[in-house]
Amino acid sequence: MFFTYLRRELRRRRKAALVVASGLALGIALVIVVNSVSAGMKQAQGEVLESLYGLGTDMTVTKAQEEPEEGAAPQRPRFKFDASQDGAEQSNDMLMVQGFETLSTSTVDTVAEQDGVADAVGGLSLTSITVSGDFKPGEMKPAQPAQPGQKGGSGEVRGGGADFGVNSFTVFGTDVTEPDLGPLTSSTLTKGRTFKESETDAKVAVLDSAYAKKEDLKVGGELKIKGKEFEIVGIATADKGQAAANVYIPLRQAQTLADAKDKITTVYVKAADSQAIAAVKDEIQKNVPDTTVTTSADLAKTVSGSLDTAADLASNVGKWLSYVVLAAAFLVAGLLTSSAVSRRVREFGTLKALGWKSGRVTRQVVGEALVNGLIGGALGIGVGLAGAYAVTAISPTLTAELGGGLMGGGPGGGGGGGIAVSGPGGGGGPLREAGERTLDIALGAPVSLATIALAAALAIGGGLIAGAFGGWRAARLRPADALRRVE
Amino acid sequence: MYHLRGVTKTYRRGKATVQALDDVDLTIEDGGRLVIQGPTGGGKSTLLQMLGGLDRPTSGQVELDGTDLATLPEARLTRVRSENIGFVFQSFNLIPTLTAQENVETALVPLGLKARDRRERAAQALDSVGLGERLSHLPGEMSGGQQQRVAIARALVKRPKVLLADEPTGNLDESMRDEIMELLEGLWKEHGLTFVMVTHDSAIAKRAPRLATIRKGRLTVTENARA
Repeated sequence: MFFTYLRRELRRRRKAALVVASGLALGIALVIVVNSVSAGMKQAQGEVLESLYGLGTDMTVTKAQEEPEEGAAPQRPRFKFDASQDGAEQSNDMLMVQGFETLSTSTVDTVAEQDGVADAVGGLSLTSITVSGDFKPGEMKPAQPAQPGQKGGSGEVRGGGADFGVNSFTVFGTDVTEPDLGPLTSSTLTKGRTFKESETDAKVAVLDSAYAKKEDLKVGGELKIKGKEFEIVGIATADKGQAAANVYIPLRQAQTLADAKDKITTVYVKAADSQAIAAVKDEIQKNVPDTTVTTSADLAKTVSGSLDTAADLASNVGKWLSYVVLAAAFLVAGLLTSSAVSRRVREFGTLKALGWKSGRVTRQVVGEALVNGLIGGALGIGVGLAGAYAVTAISPTLTAELGGGLMGGGPGGGGGGGIAVSGPGGGGGPLREAGERTLDIALGAPVSLATIALAAALAIGGGLIAGAFGGWRAARLRPADALRRVE
Repeated sequence: MYHLRGVTKTYRRGKATVQALDDVDLTIEDGGRLVIQGPTGGGKSTLLQMLGGLDRPTSGQVELDGTDLATLPEARLTRVRSENIGFVFQSFNLIPTLTAQENVETALVPLGLKARDRRERAAQALDSVGLGERLSHLPGEMSGGQQQRVAIARALVKRPKVLLADEPTGNLDESMRDEIMELLEGLWKEHGLTFVMVTHDSAIAKRAPRLATIRKGRLTVTENARA
């Protein structure tokens, strides 16, 4: 009888049922869309961070930035040229450590020994700067001939100057024995091959595709780094945005060229348990002195731009909006169900007169509301999936700006008796390493099973809340009052 | 057997207090038939609700077979209604979405019968009121007389001891009224029910062996020797 009565009532009150179900559907759909867009945001942020770190890296360890000694000049590369070499082409090639802050390679082992660390690998970030050009001496122009009674005329130098060009690119010394960790993992090899594990000290290089295209470099060709020739064995394309470096070479070669034997700039760390990253960070900071540990969460805080704005919108405005709509939908469903009970007092009064217990009448009302909720849930899931699909299909592009405002150094200048060019400076660390980067990320809206389960739970919850409103009224109906009210 | 002693019922209606029943004493023998008459608002329906355990008196006792319905816990009162008392209402009070058979079945739901037994007994009850061919009809597809027959079948399907009817012919035309009255009287005799009916209709009242008249909550009972 329960199901027969339920079915007939829902069929009879189709419009009312549809109104209740539609209200719930709207709230549930909104929750699905907001949840899936939020998930898309997180995914996008994850992709942004992956592009910076490399796949599977949970944190990086860098040298803690030290306070410069009082009166000490900040470290900058200096290029010296001799101005007396008239017209001769001069070139100054420098390969320097990014940020000038290094760690000993033994730090990798120390970090790897810490509790909760699954794997650790070291890398050396370098910047190659080549300044080349020549001086053009000025010409001595004699002064006007001396007038009678005056001293002999003097001359003046006219023209002349310097014509120097600067070529720079970033180099990353990668541990070729650990190919699964480090920045190179965020790029996909598109031509040639990657490093062999035996090439620990080989003069081979893998180039970022954007750099290779710009410089017209190809696999099989050669690239000069600080005067040494490297064979280009592969070209890799960054999965998202810019690559971590223009050129990747074996770590030992990088150390030798940069005169940084047994030095690294960054340790890339993979945690054994992705849920325990904060604990691993604390462990490393406690046991490895003078280092800075940066986790994905720390990096996420430095993401700005439209991705950050959208993520904030999704997590704040969107979340609250969906809660408000959902609460309103629950309230409307409850009031409509309660109102439906009011219209059916004679019916429920009659059933009570026939000997139906209040519990049975309440169950009938709750059952109807629950089915309304489930219909609303099904509609809401349908609309929500369609909404999420639409977002994914449109794939709005969001911009993520990384590390803005944290960069140090910059071009400088000055010096006499020649030209001194200052290059990038500042401290170490992954952000400083990567520089200020802007990435375009296509937003998707993945709908997880958990979101569907949440929607189903909300539908059931909504139905039960609506049923509770109506059921409470039905339970309180006294048969005599119910029958008297309609006489 | 009903035994009512000193039954009083007062209602609050806004600031005013309405005395619906005023110290009513009444005895109805098993198998007896009583018709209650009186002006509108005189307390007829209130008395019927006391007899049916739908309402409780402000004071006094309403005994049915020695059980005081006035003080019975709600769950037991519900059970008394479900097992012993059948109701017929003026407006039929059928559930519009259920068929005739399903409407009759609603009276058997509290008895915990199996669905199959419920269906069989409902079909028999409808057959006994001449609606054996209308089992699957909705109330909206039937005339007023047919709907009241369904209501009578619903009241009698559980084989109650008592049948309470509140103006059962009030919404019917004259020919239908006679038809329904003949049916009710026939069933009363056939099943040996205690039958209490409220009516405005003097012609019907004249056919009853006992007539109770209620005015301003006060009850007077007269025997009708001609019935």
